[in-house]
Amino acid sequence: MNRAADQPEPNPLREGLSIRPVPQPCSIVIFGATGDLTHRKLIPALYNLAADGDLPPAVAIVGFARRKKSDDEFRRDLEEATRKFSRQGVRDEIWKRFAQSIFYHQSEFEDESGYKSLATRLDEIDKNSGTRGNRLFYLAVAPDQFEPILKHLKAAGLNDTCKGSWARIIAEKPFGTDLASARELNRIVRNSFSEEQTYRIDHFLGKETAQNILVLRFANAIFAPLWNTHYVDHVQITAAETLGVGTRAGFYERAGALRDMVQNHLLQLLCLVAMEPPTDLAADSIRDEKVKVVRSLRRWSRNEIAANVVRGQYTAGAIHGDPVVGYRQEQNVNPDSRTETFVALRLFIDDWRWADVPIYLRVGKRLPKSATEISIHFKKAPAVLFNKDLHDVNVLVIRIQPDEGISLRIHAKVPGTSFRIDPVKMDFHYGTSFGKASPEAYERLLLDAMSGDATLFARRDEVEQAWAFIDPIEEAWHAKKDVPELFFYPAGSWGPEAADDLLARDGRAWRRL
Amino acid sequence: MPALAETYSLGVPVAISSIDQELKKLWQESAGAMTRASLMNLAVYSEEPGSLEKNTQLIAKITENHACRAIVIEADCKAKENSVDAWISAHCHVSGVGSKQVCSEQISFLLKGACTTLLPNMVFSHLDSDLPFYLWWQEEFREPMDPQLWAWVDRVIYDSQAWKDFRAQMRLVESAEQDAKQRIVLCDLNWTRLDNARSALAQFFDHPAAHHHFAKIRKVRVDFAPGFRSTAVLFAGWLAAQLNWRSEEADVANKLAFVRSSGRKIDVELRERSGEPICELAIETPDVEFLVTHAKCGDLLEVSREKPGEKHVPQLMPAAKNDLVSLMGEELMRGGPHHVYLHAVNCVRDLL
Repeated sequence: MNRAADQPEPNPLREGLSIRPVPQPCSIVIFGATGDLTHRKLIPALYNLAADGDLPPAVAIVGFARRKKSDDEFRRDLEEATRKFSRQGVRDEIWKRFAQSIFYHQSEFEDESGYKSLATRLDEIDKNSGTRGNRLFYLAVAPDQFEPILKHLKAAGLNDTCKGSWARIIAEKPFGTDLASARELNRIVRNSFSEEQTYRIDHFLGKETAQNILVLRFANAIFAPLWNTHYVDHVQITAAETLGVGTRAGFYERAGALRDMVQNHLLQLLCLVAMEPPTDLAADSIRDEKVKVVRSLRRWSRNEIAANVVRGQYTAGAIHGDPVVGYRQEQNVNPDSRTETFVALRLFIDDWRWADVPIYLRVGKRLPKSATEISIHFKKAPAVLFNKDLHDVNVLVIRIQPDEGISLRIHAKVPGTSFRIDPVKMDFHYGTSFGKASPEAYERLLLDAMSGDATLFARRDEVEQAWAFIDPIEEAWHAKKDVPELFFYPAGSWGPEAADDLLARDGRAWRRL
Repeated sequence: MPALAETYSLGVPVAISSIDQELKKLWQESAGAMTRASLMNLAVYSEEPGSLEKNTQLIAKITENHACRAIVIEADCKAKENSVDAWISAHCHVSGVGSKQVCSEQISFLLKGACTTLLPNMVFSHLDSDLPFYLWWQEEFREPMDPQLWAWVDRVIYDSQAWKDFRAQMRLVESAEQDAKQRIVLCDLNWTRLDNARSALAQFFDHPAAHHHFAKIRKVRVDFAPGFRSTAVLFAGWLAAQLNWRSEEADVANKLAFVRSSGRKIDVELRERSGEPICELAIETPDVEFLVTHAKCGDLLEVSREKPGEKHVPQLMPAAKNDLVSLMGEELMRGGPHHVYLHAVNCVRDLL
């Protein structure tokens, strides 16, 4: 979106070129370099940026992790992973040069000397590779590791830079487990890095369709007049996945679907759908509007939560015809676990635009299909002429993944001598209309962080406001008495019946995905 | 036609009056196995004998990434007999998502004799409504430029590399644009050829700290392949337009001279050698040389800056391909006007 304030002068040779300016040379230090995220997402994303010519000429990637490894071993591991996970094939000549910029730094996260030697190494890299003292630190580690890493980075002087250089930090989710821990994490981060230096990543925002929500809303005049309580009946946001808990049981047992998905991804999507137009496309203008949405979410009292939030857990069932075990039978899951793998919520945004428009969110594991979609359900036309028996007439659907695109459902007359009316769908598919593959979310977000553009990253107040909304629900679920029920649903179904009842009470139903 | 496979043939011959019905039939017979997609109308006009087949092959490749309704026209204006033949076909490929075939339709016309004046009518009556209209003109422009046709065009695509008289051709295009009373975007594939080289050079100056080099540029060298002198001159025009240089008369062949507002001169040397259309670019200041050259592996550019005492850190970037499918692919990806192109042309119009 917008260039950072530290690069105000436009390059006259960039005018009219479709490729964005390359960021300044920099070193990228990845904490948790031997982990899954680095291998599956970060390095393939950086390789793709290099292959597309989007990386600066001087860039160094330093993996920081506990295991003993040489630079060459690390490079070999990453090459194998990149060949497996990259969206485009790996070209030997590009990889060879890209690999030369990868280094491995072995240290315990708690070992202060490891950071001092990192500082020395980064200085050497600056000297040899021309990375000019710019540093991007990526925390691809669990949040309980943030504090020692940040403390030692500060002690080693790596949070500070000489004039004309920058240091930034990217923090992976989950950013806290509740408001108190998020505030504590923010405090820890702020002790070492200012808010302007901090980039809290939510990869949903890096997806092409998520960014397209703003374009759809603010570049098309036809939607703006309809995007409010006068014309919108309700909104649904669904994030469904067929996968179970997989190898994340340890984390998931503590988090659950509400913390894992709703607090960040779903509320971020809701903000993009519901926000007011920003004054400009600067990062803070957009984030100012997003945070207002979260602040306007109606808070429930303890006894209202059961009526507005449904939680569920999957039992044994079948996915794509194959039998799968229930959540409690998954490896490393407590056999008596009460962790939710499904949540459905009925929300209201108490502002002028959305007054009395229910917003229904649902997220779940082991649902019949994997899909993330937003649907805007418009009100019915007056019940005269054709509209006496029609339901849910106009629906605008924004498909986030897979098969990204937008569709609009309208009613049309069925050909014939009588007035029979049926719904038809106008459908736009990114994959059909634009042959070119979209960059992966992490490519976009890494490039933005290198360029100092924080638009697609969550700000401190956004994160805290989201937790302030989520916390009362978690508290109600973990209270000693009057605990809202945990419903069970067979794997491969669309969640517990109670989730359907949540809408049925309002005379509505979940959209069939 | 139950299962349409990719084909380079012109397809089914049809009567002009029943093109729409035949197209409908084509899609009905696919029984929902294919998705018709279209982002634009792309009309291709050529007078070269056999161009229908050649352009059909190009369209088949282009539609892999740019779904469109293609209207491919071959005109034989000198033929004595008068005739119009038409064909319809579809270009299908499996989309990135799922296994459904995504198809673009093509209508082909062979016009002979006086009926070549029917060109606007042929095009107008087969445009997919509400979609932008791109006209790829593969001939030299000549008078009279039909204002009726040009008034409908959103983007006209041509390749000035083959033009014999750049100034005369440009004058015709610009007057057609004026007569049409609408903003036609002029898309020169010769300019598109420069995209990656321009990007590669621009990245040296993305940081404001590098901008001071602009004022110190004293020499530019552009190595170009035989037949691509105009591409090299356009490149020089781009630098001049963007950096506010004024063209001056040069007294040596294959040299251009520019002067910046401070009065300092910049020499541009154009060197012909075999290789890619633009083989190598070098910008010299007293301290640094910025170099963009084709890497040995072919479709990559190697960019580097040479400065005494500074480590040489070459970087690889994608290079443009000089085939028509790639150039059209690049051009069709863009939107908006080509102001920068027009500024570049204006700087070197007399040198082209």
